[in-house]
Amino acid sequence: MTDQQPGDRASASESGPPLEPWEVFRQEKEGDAMRHGGSVMAPDAVLAVHYAREMYGRRQESVRLWVVRRADVHDLSDQDLLQPPLDRSFKKPGGYVMRDKLAAAREQSGQSKPKARAGRSKAAGGTDR
Amino acid sequence: MTDPLALDPILAPGDRARLPFNEDIPHDERFRHFEEHVLAGGKVESTDWMPDEYRQGVLRFVEMHANSELMGVLPEREWIMRAPTLRRKLALTAKVQDEVGHAQLLYRVAEDLGKPREAMFEDLLAGKTKFHNVFHYPTHSWADVGVIAWLVDAAAIVAQQALRDSSYAPYARTMRKICWEESVHIMHGRDVVVTMVTGTPGQRAALQEALDRWWGPLMQMHGPRSEREKDRDIHWRIKAKTSEELRQEFLSIYVPRIRELGLTLPDPELRLDETAGRWVYTEPDWQELRTVVTNHGPKSEERLAFRRLNYAKTQWVRDAILSASSGGWRRGAPPPTSESERLLPAEGAIS
Amino acid sequence: MTTTRAALAASVDPATRAPLDELLLSMADDEFVIGFSDSEWTGIAPLLEEDVAMSSLAQDELGHAAALYTLLAEIRPDGHDADAIAYDRQPDEYRHARLLDHGRGDWAMTIARRYLYDTADGARLEGLVGSSFSPLRELVDKIRREERYHVMHATTWLERLAAREGEPRERLLAALEELAPDAATVFAPLAGEERLVESGVLSEPMALLEARWRATITPLFVHLGLPMPPAAAHPDRGRTDHREPFRWLWNEFTSVRRSDPVATW
Repeated sequence: MTDQQPGDRASASESGPPLEPWEVFRQEKEGDAMRHGGSVMAPDAVLAVHYAREMYGRRQESVRLWVVRRADVHDLSDQDLLQPPLDRSFKKPGGYVMRDKLAAAREQSGQSKPKARAGRSKAAGGTDR
Repeated sequence: MTDPLALDPILAPGDRARLPFNEDIPHDERFRHFEEHVLAGGKVESTDWMPDEYRQGVLRFVEMHANSELMGVLPEREWIMRAPTLRRKLALTAKVQDEVGHAQLLYRVAEDLGKPREAMFEDLLAGKTKFHNVFHYPTHSWADVGVIAWLVDAAAIVAQQALRDSSYAPYARTMRKICWEESVHIMHGRDVVVTMVTGTPGQRAALQEALDRWWGPLMQMHGPRSEREKDRDIHWRIKAKTSEELRQEFLSIYVPRIRELGLTLPDPELRLDETAGRWVYTEPDWQELRTVVTNHGPKSEERLAFRRLNYAKTQWVRDAILSASSGGWRRGAPPPTSESERLLPAEGAIS
Repeated sequence: MTTTRAALAASVDPATRAPLDELLLSMADDEFVIGFSDSEWTGIAPLLEEDVAMSSLAQDELGHAAALYTLLAEIRPDGHDADAIAYDRQPDEYRHARLLDHGRGDWAMTIARRYLYDTADGARLEGLVGSSFSPLRELVDKIRREERYHVMHATTWLERLAAREGEPRERLLAALEELAPDAATVFAPLAGEERLVESGVLSEPMALLEARWRATITPLFVHLGLPMPPAAAHPDRGRTDHREPFRWLWNEFTSVRRSDPVATW
């Protein structure tokens, strides 16, 4: 696009950006991750942001929006990279099962399983493994 | 879209552990893998390979849904102007806005399947694609507004809830958003109805009259009975329930709620057969349904003509924004309007 | 509720009450009436996304109207509620600016009207920011925040239409020309407004607020090569003598209520 002087007006014959999809990410409440909401059609960023506000924010359901041209989103869905087949359980909590070993250690020491901490409940996410 | 980590593949495409139908293998094999994937509950995204039958099936389904949301605005929009209180006016404006919003969401899903928006509008306006029967009928009074917002939306939501797990993931996600938004409409509609039913004799009479008129189209709305095994949309898991299952669900929830208001339904046969566990009713007029959805309903042509006229009248606006560059003047002098009145800062991006 | 209402009504000194009523009614009617034209785009706006946007603007205006009618209801002694004030008057009793009497028109007309109205309303709200009448001051604070979005939307469209040679710009110029005689009617002098200024309800007379409005929009109009709106052709009738489009509208928007005047809806 050439530099334009202030006041220059585009002529009717000049073709510019078509309507294209813009992806909208929204944050439902403060501190949340940005989550994909959907997309809007718009010719440029200004209108894309207006429309994102309308489609994903008009009823106060979002505290923040990000709007990105779909063409600028890089897609990675290669499963060899994202779901490689060899064991990777050492990278996850589920890869460390200690139930039997803990039971053996407690038996050996004559101690019983410590009581749950006061105020911590299962609902609060406190489980004792 | 580019894969930034795309190096020369060490493994041949066929050896890579991707969804097999996305690989470059013979069509029949791809079809078989795709079908297995869907029948096992797998999801399909817009960028996946799809057999034509699936793509066309989803597109047709979504397009009709989108068309219905858009045409569904027309029976109600004139009542925005006539809404008798400020709160009702706000509620109705918001409801109708949501219908347009749903049309936007659904046309977006359809566009991403490969059919441009303009083509869909043209087909709708030319009568080549359809929209649901209920939107071909006139509205006569404010009572219609209540009945539509409550019962037409209720019948729609029964269908929409059953689509929340559609195999076509973009559609499923949209359905979840739509169902969440629709729940408010039903409450608004029911509120209007209950207010009128406990109001003046004139209001009660208007409501009963509206219900008598709308019951036929409501019973036809989910469509004639079809056999589950022969239904391709069910086969491909685009939808999960048959027309009859949806209708039964609608009747189970809403007939008691209608009757508890002291309203009657114009079908003398309508009752719950406790033994069979299903509602019995007078067979809906399927001929009427066929006539109406092929655009021979009482208001079909008028509404299509209205949209055609307005679509043509606004073409200049679409042309204007498609070829205008928003930042043409920014490269020169800074914008004369204050920064707080700009939706985006002059540079345009988030920092 | 009655106690608060009585207290609120009592807090307004008698000399200020009538002009305050005029001010609130004019603002409420403005917001109420402009909402109708916006809503007329429902289902038929140029773009689906714009359809949704126009609806939001209409709802905002209506919400502002409702809040202003409610405030009016609280300071009037007759006990009528907001709906009664909004709906139960004859066409000649409405006090909206004649700028809003024009029919919906095409998209250019809608944008021109919205831009002129939203910027004018902005100047008026500025004049109420430090209002001595606290319920109004609080309400204005909220309304101004919402109105920012309206000015953003109207501005971006004004620029787009003005910058496109040919049909878009021509239509915009035609719309501005048609609206010209009424463009400044938002600032039509209110009866007794000197009292409002004296008592601190309003910071300046309407004439001065109009000057501020002009100063705000001049840079953009010059930049876009658009003709500045002239002074109102008939300032003394800026909020009366409503035209046929409004009379037709009145007939429509009161029809359901008039069909059953004792009913609750």
